[in-house]
Parts: sequence; structure tokens; C-alpha cells
Amino acid sequence: MTRSSLVPIILAILAIAVSLMLGRYGAYLTHVVAIAAIGAMSLNLLNGWCGQINFAQAALLGVGAYTAGNCGNAGWDVFSLLAAGIASALAAVLIGLPALRLRGLYFAIATLAAQFIFEYLFKFAEPITHGVSGLLIQPMKLLGRVIDTDQGYAVLAICLLLLTWLFMTWIRRTDLGRAFLVVRENEVVARGMGINVPQTKMWAFLISGFFAGIAGGLMGFTDRLAHPEAFGMGLSVDYIAMIIVGGLGSLPGSLLGAAFVSLLPEAIQRFGEAFNMADQLSAFREMAFGLLIILFLIFEPRGLSAILGKTNVQRMMARFARRPTNPVRDQAKNQPKWRSVE
Amino acid sequence: MNKLLRNAMLTAGLLSCIAPATAADINFCMWGTITGPDALVNGMAYGPRDYMEFLNQTKGGIAGNKVKLLLLDGRYKLDEELKNYRRCVDQEQAVVINGWSTGSVKALRDQITQDQVPFMTQSYSSEVLDPVKLPYIFMAGPTYEQQMIIALRDAANAGGKTVIIMHGDNEYGRGPTTVVRQSGVIEKLGLTLVDTVEFPYDAQDITAQMLRVKSKNPDLVYVQSSTPQLIVALRDAAKVGLPATKFVGNAYNISPAIPAQLGAAAEGFRAIQIYSDYGSDIPAMKDINAFKANNKIEKEDVYYMKGWMEGVAISKAIEVAIAKNGGKVPDDIKAFRKSVRDEMENLKDVDAGGITPPLSFASHQGSTQARLAVIKDGKYVPLGDWINAQ
Repeated sequence: MTRSSLVPIILAILAIAVSLMLGRYGAYLTHVVAIAAIGAMSLNLLNGWCGQINFAQAALLGVGAYTAGNCGNAGWDVFSLLAAGIASALAAVLIGLPALRLRGLYFAIATLAAQFIFEYLFKFAEPITHGVSGLLIQPMKLLGRVIDTDQGYAVLAICLLLLTWLFMTWIRRTDLGRAFLVVRENEVVARGMGINVPQTKMWAFLISGFFAGIAGGLMGFTDRLAHPEAFGMGLSVDYIAMIIVGGLGSLPGSLLGAAFVSLLPEAIQRFGEAFNMADQLSAFREMAFGLLIILFLIFEPRGLSAILGKTNVQRMMARFARRPTNPVRDQAKNQPKWRSVE
Repeated sequence: MNKLLRNAMLTAGLLSCIAPATAADINFCMWGTITGPDALVNGMAYGPRDYMEFLNQTKGGIAGNKVKLLLLDGRYKLDEELKNYRRCVDQEQAVVINGWSTGSVKALRDQITQDQVPFMTQSYSSEVLDPVKLPYIFMAGPTYEQQMIIALRDAANAGGKTVIIMHGDNEYGRGPTTVVRQSGVIEKLGLTLVDTVEFPYDAQDITAQMLRVKSKNPDLVYVQSSTPQLIVALRDAAKVGLPATKFVGNAYNISPAIPAQLGAAAEGFRAIQIYSDYGSDIPAMKDINAFKANNKIEKEDVYYMKGWMEGVAISKAIEVAIAKNGGKVPDDIKAFRKSVRDEMENLKDVDAGGITPPLSFASHQGSTQARLAVIKDGKYVPLGDWINAQ
């Protein structure tokens, strides 16, 4: 175990302890943020690292929720989440197929079309989805034990978030992870470097889809209902907002963006209650959301992670979890500030 | 700027983890759609809040105990409503919850039973009405299916033969339509369902669907939709030459917005009326006007009356529960909730001040009576007396 993986593990343990102390409502908010963070990280891999804009994230979450719901109801236990991941991964590959021929805005439009196709399927594939009335989902079973409390889901979601984080950190350092970045920067250069661009893109869709499915499955279990209206375009926009606000391409940014987007309405609500103007601020919540995205794009396009980067917190964490990933930087750092000329 | 954002983040984090509400005698928590697609009918979210506040101001609360009120915005979004529910149960320690959409109540129905918290839903869906399996969920009127049957029965009594049902492409539209179709009640009434026309719930133009309706020339067109969709439907019906007199809507189509926006094209349109309209000559208006003298009423419509009536029923159940506990609010919230549920179920012939006929919640529905109201000279006028939907 490296020191860099120790930090997230410690933070996860702390998060679990805090969520258990906060009570049911606090635990609920914790698992909402943790699930959103898994989904945001999956989108970040595709969008932030590999440069493939995906407007169909909600559809992938939906596939995960319906798969997990059906498998969970059939008594698949923990395998229902795995099945959700696999089903969404396959769906993501399908969505990604046009990426072999299309790029940029054209591909983004293709994913938009995919989002609407899946929304239609959620409504009309009644044997699987129960149509517009939605699929009622039984509480999740984990190794035979029923999870029916928010605290239970908070612990599970944090554990899965930790695994997602560790996996993403690992894959980022592999050849495939580096290939993602090269494909994002320039496909022609990537080809010139011997990278199989279509295969790299497909891997990005497959991995991203898998984690989106896990997040969707968890959403299904915690909501106890998979409903077509819950996986509409608005949710895809929320996830895009998470990775933009958090910082495109940044793993901590995905986590911060997920927390920010999930908790902002709650913060505005509490602020309104404190000043006896909750009703008036309700209307402002949606507006504030849009306004903040615009402000971030103008003033800090690198998102919350960049803001956090300027604080002592990240410097402290970096000092603790320093890793020699940049030999040039480390070499330069180890050089004496001046050398005497012999 | 960066400092500002950092501070905003910290504030958001801290505010989200605020400690549970401080102790109050009676906590009543509710959520509605303050903002969202069906905000047009959100008077029923303000109604119960205002009634409880009326009790606080005039009687010092319920049995002398102040009612602590919290109205949240569910925005007609499932995740937001699920969050509100947790807050009401856990942080606010509410003794009764008043919730909103069909989807959220369906998602929460097992948890409501598990948490054993009395829950008054604004939905009329039969899927959440089951006194045996869902003993903590209560409803404030006839189900959508029962409303549809009242309209069909009226059409049959008037000598009608053919019927078309129009509905949106969501659960609210499809669910009740399917139940009524499969029940065989249409045929039993001697009617023939000549077509079922579905339209996108957020459609801005349904002229094509109206042309299809016109080609079938039915005696009655029942529309299962909310007010915004009904306005589109009646507008396009007028466009193709179908008179509003052929159309009947459900309880959510009693809205001043319909005659106000459509004018003459809405004349003759009928809708199911469960609650007396705001401003009717009924005893409840005396209390409402007294409340209005010192407070602002957000929505003066029939949905506000529904909410006010819910407040009457809930407060009555709480009052009896307190009386049975020796005039004191039970210390144990679980016991208090259980007791309120039991008293809610025992409520019989509660005077709703004329908003509805006397209420009884043994079947968890409050009232199963409704009447038809017709738009005449830009106003809804009741047609006949209350009809029992059962």
C-alpha cells in the first residue's frame, strides 16, 4: 500500500465515522454525495481524461438502476451491483460506437440522441422497466444481510467510492491512462505514437460505463424506485456540471463537484430558513445553480480543485502523500539552489 | 473571488450538517412544489401550513401546544422529495408528514410503514392507498380512477354512448386509464371506449391528436392531465372545432387559469370537484378570512381549500391523540406517531367546514365524494350535489 492510497483510505474511514454520527439525514446526504461522486468520476474519465463528451450519463445511470433493481428483486445479492456495472458498460460501448467516426460536437450530439433513445426505452420496455410507473426495488442484500438503513447505504457508498478512487488513480498511471490523455489532446498524434485510438476510446467508454452502472445501481437501491423521469436529460446536465465545477480531469475535483452540486440546494434551503425567506429562495435555487456554473467557467475554469489547490489543505495532503510521478520536477527540486563554479 | 467561493463551500457544508431541530411540542413537516412543473396547484401545500398557523394564532396550537411548522420545496423531483422525507422524519422529528407526488410516495411507501409515521399524500393514486398494507398513508379524496368513474357515470346517465380517454405519457396519465379500462366499468355503464389517445406530457401542441378525436366523434372526452396540459388540449380542441362541452377533466383541472387563458374556448368544460372553491359560501371561509386579515395567503384557489381541509383532519387526529394521553404530548415520538395514526383512522364525520362533506378516514381516503363543476361565464359552477365515487 502506497502513501498516496493511504490518504483516501483514512479519509474514507473518517467519512464513515462522521456519517454514522450525523444520524439518518446526515447519512442520507453522505450517500447521495458518495454515489454522485462515483458517477462524476466515471464521467470525468471519459470527458476529462479521454476528451469524449457524453450527454448520456443519466441514461447509463438509468441502465444501472434498472439492472440492479431487477437483479436485486430476483435475489442476486451483491452481484446485482456487478450486473448493473456490466450492463451499463455494454450500454456505454454502444453509445461510444459513433465515437469511432465522429468527433467533438458531432459526437456530443450523438450521445444526446442516445440519451433520448434510452429515455424512450425506460418508458416503453415495460417487461424490464415497468414503464412510466417505474420499477419498485427491494432493499439491497449484501451477503445475505438486508441493507435498509441510510447509514448502511452510506457505508457501502463510501466503500465503493474508495474503490472507484483507487481504481481511477491506478488506471491514470497505466499506459492506458496515459493513452487517454494523448487521445484527448490529439488523435493524430496518438496514432503517430502507435496508440490504437478506437480501442482506447472503447476502453474509456467501457470503464466509465461500468462505474456509472455501479452508481446507478446504488441510486436505485437507495431510492427504492427506478423511474424514467429520474434519468432524464436534467440529470446528465447535473453530472456535467459536477465535473466542470469540480475541475475537468481532476479526481478530487469530481468529488468536490459532486458534493457541491448535491449540497448546494440544501445549503440555499437552510440559508433561506435561517433568514425566513425559504419560499423566495426556492425559486433562486435553480438560478443559482446556472449562475455558479457560468461564474466558474469565467473566473475559475479549472474548478474547485484548483481553488483547493491554492489552500494549505492540499499542500499538506500532497506533502503527506508525495509520490515521485514527475521525475523532472523532483530532480529539479533536489538540485541545490546554487552551485559553486569550480 | 476564490476566497468567496471557498467560504461559500464551507458554509454549504456546515449548513447541511445542522443539528436536529430543537424540541417543540408538535412538529408538523410538509413538502410541496413551491417551484416546479406543477407549482400551479401548490395552494394545497400552503393550506395545511396556514391552518396550523391559524390554530397557533387563535388557540395557541393544538390542545394548547404550539405547532412547529416546516414547509419544504420538493420541486417535483424524486431525489429532492426523498431528501425532504428523511429530514422530516429524522431531523424535524415530525409527528405527521404531508408529502407530494405519486412517484415519491410510491418510492417511500415501505419506508413510511417501517418508520411508522402518519403520512398524508397529495396524490390520488390508488397504488398508495391500502389501509392494510400501507397503514400509515392517508389520502384526501377519491382516487383518480374513482374520479374518472364519476365522469363516466354522469355521461352514461346523460345518455352518452361513446367515450375517448386522453392522457399524458407518464404514470399520472397512463396508470388510472389502464386500471379503469381493465376494470370493465366502462362496459358495465353501457358505454363504448372508442379510442385512447396518449400525448406527450409536456406537449405544446396536440392538434394532431385532436383531429383523431374529432374523427371518432365521441359523446365524452375524459382528459387525465394537469392544468397546463388541459389548457393545451382545450385550445387545440377549439382549433379543430371540438367544443369544450365534450371534455371532462379531473380534480386538478379546477383552476382559474383555464377560463382566464382560454376565455370562450373553455365555456362548458367540466371537471371533477372534490373541494368547495375558495370564496364559496361555506363556514370554513369564515376562518380563512379571519386568518387572511393578519396573514398573507399565497394561493386563493380550490387547492388551498384541499390543504386547509387536510389541516383540519390532521389537527383533529393530533388533538384526540393528546386528549387520550391525559392532555399531554407523548414524550416518545414513536408512540405519538402511532397514536396519531390510530386516531386518524378513527376519525368519523369530521366537520370540514363545508369544504367537503363530513370526513371519515376509516378507508384512509377522507372523502370519497365529488361532484362535477362546469365553467360558466368564466367561473366554475357546481353541477348538482356530491356523488359518492364508491
